[in-house]
Amino acid sequence: MLDENELWLLSFYRSSEISGSLFFGRLARSMKPSAIQADMTKHFSDEAQHAWFWTSCIDSLGAKPIKLSSAYQDQYLTAAGAPSNMMEILAITQIFEKRVVNQYARHSQIPTIHPTVRETLSRIMVDEKWHIQWIHEALQAMEPQYGKDLITQTLKRFWEADREVYLKTTQEHEQRLTHLVR
Amino acid sequence: MFDKDAVKEKIASFLKQPISRLQDDALLTNLVVESFILVEMIIELQDDFGVQLVQEDMRDVKTVGQLTELLVSRGKAAASHA
Repeated sequence: MLDENELWLLSFYRSSEISGSLFFGRLARSMKPSAIQADMTKHFSDEAQHAWFWTSCIDSLGAKPIKLSSAYQDQYLTAAGAPSNMMEILAITQIFEKRVVNQYARHSQIPTIHPTVRETLSRIMVDEKWHIQWIHEALQAMEPQYGKDLITQTLKRFWEADREVYLKTTQEHEQRLTHLVR
Repeated sequence: MFDKDAVKEKIASFLKQPISRLQDDALLTNLVVESFILVEMIIELQDDFGVQLVQEDMRDVKTVGQLTELLVSRGKAAASHA
């Protein structure tokens, strides 16, 4: 059975995967045909599947997802501001995905973690690493359009926002993870 | 070349709202239920009108009028460089 802190964390992961899926789904639907459109469609599909993995994981552990109004993405948009073009969307997503992989890796290292939760984290992390890779390649491909310097500056700006999110809004995650280690 | 009315028509079509709701002083955030939709709309408008914006350009854009003016001025600048 999940304790309150773990149920909250898994519900937050689920909520964030749903938000990511909805966002990328809308973008993938409106984009013109391109390599980015194809990868974004796969990304959207992955995030939707991850939301299902978390729903199924929580259910199999005898609980129900908590309805949460916020997701990781909201925290990033608040800290970094809304992106205005595809390059900025991919840059902020790149930073965000790295943070998610880091968070999932830390969660999976908790000694008392339930095997179902660890298995779900592991399955999702495989996809998340691919997300980081395709976005990295897409940003490289955008260098002729936006310029390498602007892309580098944009990533740097979003890294700074990430630190702000990490320091402020993820404190609750830290507290809940720390509680699980005890 | 395109004008403010053309931009407003695209916004109305994207948001599925009557153009009469898109007064110049209408706040963009009041027209959408979540900020993601605004991001998607800004990207689609850039595609439709062949202009490129960055986050810095959007910093002071809060209203329909400010957005249409920004896009029209970028369109004119792009046309003069063509």
